[in-house]
Amino acid sequence: MSTSGWEQLLFIVAVTAVAAPLLGRYLAAVFGGGKAPGDRIFLPVERLTYRALRIDPESSWTWRAYALAVLAFGLVSTLLLYLILRLQGHLPLNPTGAPDMPPLLSFNTAVSFITGTNWQAYEGETAASYLGQMAGLVVAQFTAAAVGLSVALAVVRGIAGPRRTVGNFWADLTRSLVRVFVPLSVIGALVMIGQGAVQTFRGFDTATTLAGGSQTVPGGPVASMEVIKLLGTNGGSFYGVGGAHPFENPTGFTNMWDLLLVIVLPFAIVFMFGRLIGLRRQALAIVAVMAAIFIGHTVVSMQAEVHGNPSMPASVSQLVTSTSPGGNLEGKETRFGPEGSALMTVGTMGTTAGATDSALDSYTPVGGAGAFVAILLGEISPGGDGGGLYAILVLALLSVFVAGLMVGRTPEFLGKKIRGPQMKLVLAYVLTIPVVVLVFGSASLVLHQGYSSILNPGFHGLSEVTYAYASVTNSNGSAFAGLAANTPWYNTTLGLAMLAGRFVPIVLALAIAGSLAGARVHARTRATLDTSGPTFAVFLFGVIVIVGGLIYFPMLILGPIGERFVG
Amino acid sequence: MRRHLVASIVMLVGLTVLLGFGYPLLVTGISYVFFRHQAEGSLIYRNGKLVGSALLGQSFTNSKGNPLPQYFQPRPSAAGTGYEGDSSGASNLGPNNPLLVGFVAGVNTVGLNGAPSARNPFATKADPVCVPVTAQGTPVTSPVPGQKYAKQSDGAYVCDPNTIPERAIAYRQFNGLPGSAKVPVDAVTASGSGLDPDISIANALDQASRVARVRHLPAAEVVALVHRETQGRELAFLGEPTVNVLELNLALGSLR
Repeated sequence: MSTSGWEQLLFIVAVTAVAAPLLGRYLAAVFGGGKAPGDRIFLPVERLTYRALRIDPESSWTWRAYALAVLAFGLVSTLLLYLILRLQGHLPLNPTGAPDMPPLLSFNTAVSFITGTNWQAYEGETAASYLGQMAGLVVAQFTAAAVGLSVALAVVRGIAGPRRTVGNFWADLTRSLVRVFVPLSVIGALVMIGQGAVQTFRGFDTATTLAGGSQTVPGGPVASMEVIKLLGTNGGSFYGVGGAHPFENPTGFTNMWDLLLVIVLPFAIVFMFGRLIGLRRQALAIVAVMAAIFIGHTVVSMQAEVHGNPSMPASVSQLVTSTSPGGNLEGKETRFGPEGSALMTVGTMGTTAGATDSALDSYTPVGGAGAFVAILLGEISPGGDGGGLYAILVLALLSVFVAGLMVGRTPEFLGKKIRGPQMKLVLAYVLTIPVVVLVFGSASLVLHQGYSSILNPGFHGLSEVTYAYASVTNSNGSAFAGLAANTPWYNTTLGLAMLAGRFVPIVLALAIAGSLAGARVHARTRATLDTSGPTFAVFLFGVIVIVGGLIYFPMLILGPIGERFVG
Repeated sequence: MRRHLVASIVMLVGLTVLLGFGYPLLVTGISYVFFRHQAEGSLIYRNGKLVGSALLGQSFTNSKGNPLPQYFQPRPSAAGTGYEGDSSGASNLGPNNPLLVGFVAGVNTVGLNGAPSARNPFATKADPVCVPVTAQGTPVTSPVPGQKYAKQSDGAYVCDPNTIPERAIAYRQFNGLPGSAKVPVDAVTASGSGLDPDISIANALDQASRVARVRHLPAAEVVALVHRETQGRELAFLGEPTVNVLELNLALGSLR
């Protein structure tokens, strides 16, 4: 890697290391039940919301009631978004004249944004109206993020708390939005606009170019969507190409700002967890595992991309010099260069954002594999807002169980015994996503409706299909975009995969939390396995790699590994 | 469940009003006070007419689509037919796709019958990795026996002009560079958005002497202009140094 590549990576690590614990402290104050900064402004807004909803924010529910509320909210949100997209051509605020979205594409898009996946089978510029984006997609991006954080809070209360209940969904949702996502979004958007991101209600303008031709100049409320796309680990952009578009991501600075918006909050949520359970070392152990995986896959990809495409003719210089960014620049912007692009794009792949600033399909096999692996490991580096925390807690339970078997002790996590009922749920959780990915992926490779959408031949084509299912089932939403995905087959199956990949894990995580809620907390003895030290962190890392690696290894052999060695 | 559904509906109606309309309007309002130029798209006007945006690349071609030698040329673009502002897009071609890198021996070469082959049967003297085209100009990546190909007068295959090796040949020719010159990678690859406003410094410098010759300007003056128009890294270490093509070409007009 070049010096500037290392500098940018170091910058991201350093800023996150400072910002995430601070934000984590704020979150712990907000969700810890006591007084919190900003009460004077936020409390009245919250009280008004509770009155409108006619709920008592202090009442705490069982996991079943909590899960039902999440599902009910998901159902109503999906229906509303579906209606907005279906009717957008007839609604106001449509200066670019986008038509109504067809039924299957509306289904796919609605599910995609409600689940926080943000898989986009439509082109933002021409196929979505300003109203559809603003009042439909952006609202879904806010709620998807807030739902993720709420579920994580409930899971933490169940796993670590003394009570049999897990909290109140409406109160969690309201507080997440009022105190976290909305204020941070306003600040984040203004920084982006200052750098050049667009925020206007103007439709298409026509410019007469210097050479005498004409060019369409797009507009739109872009920055307000861009920020929650990132902060909410959603990933869905106003324009078709996302973060590569100069109107969304205008400079080398916004490129790194965008990555920080994605990863700081999920890390902060883990720090919040440490404070809420009163065991900050536990949070550190988890953060260490997440950070190791994050740095691992980004460094591999940055290295591969700056090294360049081995199939490039010798007449083209891919060397990094003071006058050329060099590297594999197909599908990448000059202002980001190969390393800035790989850092941002692959850095968001360990979260459910999957926000890209370059074309993954044109990455080298190793560079693209970095993104692929981050997704296949279950998105815990550092994961989505909230989703990252409950996913890694489930894996921690699995690790405790395996470790307990190895040394012959009853496994315990945070003082609570892990027994058969919990392990059944944990295994169901771990297997849900691979089953969905492998079943739909295989079906697409044998059915004409599936394989006819492939753009690039050979090993790479297989990656296009399997990546699509791995990406959407993990709520990531990034794509090897050569795949022609706006077909009835893909709109339907990818939509179903997104629903299963989001809501089944949520219900299972809540069920696990519910089964531990109110369980007796055993005092620590010398015989207790320490889950907050470096030994456990290494063990957890191993379990994550083995679980993810073994399940998907054949798929990776036939995809990126084959492409790398055979061509 | 009914209780949850009713609360969901109330919540969503409220959120749609507050987050769907209130929030973007608030952001737009504040940005119009402080960053109006940026919020509107960093538009550039000349003599009162819109020329484009400093952030969007544009084509510098004649009506036939050929590059105009008096202007610095941007990168190849996959946005529509090139730099179409309403169809941003990348090529999405994989790193070994013959449409991108040509038929590279040992990687993706096929024989005349379409079966894998050790060497490229379509190789020409100028382009050993040549991808042939049909008479209509469509590139052929999966040959079948009996396929008709376009040929030059000397019997050599006509190559797909959009592969990187062919772009490199055209770039050297257009800029009067020797056959041994290495071409900067950004000059022959399409960007992620298809609207990349920038080129690398190396790419701009390689074009400088051609632009100076056509405009009858001293080469040193154009080179100095390239350096003046170079935008360094943000905060000295974020991103890459770039040259904005539209701004550079606008500045050319003020030389002399």
